[in-house]
Amino acid sequence: MMILLTGGSGCGKSAYAESLCAEMEGPRYYIAAMRPYGEESERKIAKHRRMREGRGFETVERYMDLAGLALPGRGVALLECICNLTANEMFDETGAWTDPCARVLDGVEALRRQCRDLIVVTNDVGSDGREYDPGTTAYIRALGRINAVLAERADAVFELVCGIPLLKKGCPGGSGTACGKEENAG
Amino acid sequence: MVLIVGGEGSGKRSYAAALGYRQEDMADACLDERPVVFHVEKMAFARPDGTEELYRALLEKEVVICNEVGSGVIPIDRGERLGREAAGRLCILLAREADAVVRMVCGIPAVIKGELP
Repeated sequence: MMILLTGGSGCGKSAYAESLCAEMEGPRYYIAAMRPYGEESERKIAKHRRMREGRGFETVERYMDLAGLALPGRGVALLECICNLTANEMFDETGAWTDPCARVLDGVEALRRQCRDLIVVTNDVGSDGREYDPGTTAYIRALGRINAVLAERADAVFELVCGIPLLKKGCPGGSGTACGKEENAG
Repeated sequence: MVLIVGGEGSGKRSYAAALGYRQEDMADACLDERPVVFHVEKMAFARPDGTEELYRALLEKEVVICNEVGSGVIPIDRGERLGREAAGRLCILLAREADAVVRMVCGIPAVIKGELP
């Protein structure tokens, strides 16, 4: 089963993703796509690590090329997050970019084939109404397209709002969540 | 306490008015005796490290209104980034304690937690 979680920054996606994984049988893999680039991201990574402590996750750092990743066992994987993965696949060190969609989507598909359950965390970045440089605009569009394809492939999609999971699609079995579109599943 | 969230101009204050509150009952990003406070995201932006204190004060309110500000590109400016994150986290805490959480889209309220008093 593949579950996609979306929402803005600081809406509780990680915590909900981890609680979903905790209900699933292991082994549990945490695929970290966030490249540490300074004190703030390191603090965020440390916070996420603390949240996962004692939950039996094996952390796999993989910033790009998911298609080339081989997990040691078949269980549940939590991929966090598509926004970082897309940026890493899209931009090189000089800031030049290429279309990341196929690499991201093929990578997620390759990962899904190795997992019994896959929880994918993404971000909604297209709703701030600002104008950006062409690279950032291309990134917003690419991420939007990737999210739409992932949602189509996912068995269930949730949007997190204030920590509350809103079911947008599907009906994940066995996790005690309510079913029905737009219904509060918390 | 009822938490009302939504984007800018999504109808949050109009909805509070529909719940029976007058404009003079609503405080703009400040804590006083009024039962409703709006633009709580501005308060989080002003003091990203002070949300714990703010959170406790907001629990005393009848209605808390906060803009959803997390659904954009992660800002380059550190202060903006921290403020956005703080506003989001604050809303998670408030939602946990709220009797009801209402999310506005195009002026349409969706009760995503609990029941309206």
